[in-house]
Amino acid sequence: MTVAAASLSTSDGGLEPFDPALDHFARLGLDRAWRVDRNALEDGYLDRSRRYHPDRHAGADAATRRAALEHSAALNEAYQVLRDRVRRAEYLVKLGGVDLDSSDPQTGAPHPEQSFLIEMIERRERLEAVSSGGTEALEQLRDEIEAELEQVFDAGVAALERGDTRAAAAELVHRRYLQRFNDEVGALLDELEAGSG
Amino acid sequence: MAYSDKVIEHYEHPRNVGSLDKNDEGVGTGIVGAPACGDVMKLQIRVEGDVITDAKFKTYGCGSAIASSSLVTEWVKGMKLTDAMQIKNSQIAEELSLPPVKIHCSVLAEDAIKAAIADYQKKHGTPE
Repeated sequence: MTVAAASLSTSDGGLEPFDPALDHFARLGLDRAWRVDRNALEDGYLDRSRRYHPDRHAGADAATRRAALEHSAALNEAYQVLRDRVRRAEYLVKLGGVDLDSSDPQTGAPHPEQSFLIEMIERRERLEAVSSGGTEALEQLRDEIEAELEQVFDAGVAALERGDTRAAAAELVHRRYLQRFNDEVGALLDELEAGSG
Repeated sequence: MAYSDKVIEHYEHPRNVGSLDKNDEGVGTGIVGAPACGDVMKLQIRVEGDVITDAKFKTYGCGSAIASSSLVTEWVKGMKLTDAMQIKNSQIAEELSLPPVKIHCSVLAEDAIKAAIADYQKKHGTPE
């Protein structure tokens, strides 16, 4: 063992055992809520990432080294989810019992009403005509979808804040469909711009 | 993730892309979506007697979703309604060698054909 590693391992004073059951908010020392204090999030992350960094524990025993790795990985995951407002909202819905990534009929993403799905198909069918109107028409459509995305997201957050997980899940599912549509419009725009450039 | 050759084949040369008139008495329309990824799928059948004589689809989604719906339209043409009802997502997944993360695409295609049949039966007052 090198002297540097030994001094590092003695400077850390050990690590608490890794608890896989902690939610992302608890892992960063934050309250479980939609509103997150940006500074508390950044500080909570930086403090812990320094403390858990595997390099700091390179000279420690195997159990501590393993704990440092587990702490660091879980901390990074928590930070990535909570700093992204959409992922944070979807995560709160998940903590409320609805997993938008699952198709389980009880606990998975709720299916939108049929009229919404029909609209998603019909808007795609109209997209062929819109794209013949060139980039300007597509950019306008993209702006419209982005405004809808904001609206639906705000409705989801409002539902979260009044504690209505099912309503929040329904809005966030709409958001996923709209996001997919917007990605397709964006891809069409890229194609047109690449073609004309 | 690598797509199987069959998925790529259907993706590059999808069969039966298009629409039938949804208001036509002989047409059944199924529209379904996958909430997790935002894919949407429309699958339509034309029925004469108790046999599916034509099928069309439009799918806005990943290659596996397109291939699954393309395959189903190919399968159901000439099939009796009662046989088309029996199509299972596992058969679609097996035919296309879908990996576990893409199984939901085959589920979507099964839901779509079932919804199209249900829509046709509703028009003709013959619910299950």
